[in-house]
Amino acid sequence: MISGLVQILVFQGLGELITHFLLPLIPGPVVGLVLLVGFLALRKSVNASLDEVASTFSQHFGLLFVPAAVGVVMFWPHLKAHALAIAVALVVSVVFTIAVTALVLKGLSRGSRQ
Amino acid sequence: MNTQTTPGFPNIYEIWVYLSGSPLLALILTLGAYQIGVIVYERANRHPLANPVLIAIVLVAATITLIGMPYPKYFEGAQFVHFLLGTATVSLAVPIYKGLSAMRGRILPLLAALLAGGLTSIASAVGIARLLGADSAIVGGFVAKSVTAPIAMGIAERIGVSPTLTAVFAVSTGILGAVLARFVLDAVRSREWWQRGFAIGVAAHGLGTSRAFSVNAEAGAYSSLAMGLHGVLGAVLIPLGVRLLGF
Repeated sequence: MISGLVQILVFQGLGELITHFLLPLIPGPVVGLVLLVGFLALRKSVNASLDEVASTFSQHFGLLFVPAAVGVVMFWPHLKAHALAIAVALVVSVVFTIAVTALVLKGLSRGSRQ
Repeated sequence: MNTQTTPGFPNIYEIWVYLSGSPLLALILTLGAYQIGVIVYERANRHPLANPVLIAIVLVAATITLIGMPYPKYFEGAQFVHFLLGTATVSLAVPIYKGLSAMRGRILPLLAALLAGGLTSIASAVGIARLLGADSAIVGGFVAKSVTAPIAMGIAERIGVSPTLTAVFAVSTGILGAVLARFVLDAVRSREWWQRGFAIGVAAHGLGTSRAFSVNAEAGAYSSLAMGLHGVLGAVLIPLGVRLLGF
């Protein structure tokens, strides 16, 4: 568990450094993610500790969103004034996105199988 | 110092001042609310409507409003949980790496679907919000909303829109995606688990992925792959697109 966490934190740190000094366009964690994928591809394996940390994070990813999302209280009057536009945009957009992605996948993988 | 309470009784005000000065109160609130959310979700047989994150957000928002705790004060304590979003993002490397070998031979359809889905997400949300008269602050918040929240907030900072609003929309999108995905996927007759999972991940990032994992392991793996790829491509392409279109 600990060695996996150390690995992830080191890559996060590397990502932050690279973002700060070289690539200000891309968020640090994304750079860290790409570097870690590259590292794993070179090593050709995921050690158990890293795997454990990663699966714990993916199971409770949702918890980590809570502090930022509670910020909704600050925008409450503003959001309420535009409630209809926001609700329609969110629902229609997510439905379209899921449908388009699934249809493109279905169409293209059917074509490539033949 | 408040001296108006009855002598001999513990001074509630002092306890309050003491606790709210440390990150403990915000952390207990955040984790406790999430724990309640998880219990409700399990009791409801993992029904998509009983989303644990949604429950936690409502509970925390209601509590801090009730006790009159300003959001910046709450966030000061809860930032330790928030910080881990970056760490969790890096840890997405593991499912992406594991998915890479399964992806071979599917890479073209997956990338094409990701691009189509990502563009649909931005175009439909921004278009509808504009059409219905939302102001530019809100429209800006929609741009990165299908990207996983930590990356979305990074993108928001770079394109000059509110990261908090973006996070709120990203989380709402994730919850809606987790709730609606099954119905949409059935409606378009998507039957393969890997395709269903990937579509959820493109549209509804981390929250969709949690949901996908709780339904089917293959769907979960493809969903986290989609979330990771969307995050990486979004981080590069969205700021570029915004700059080019001068939006």
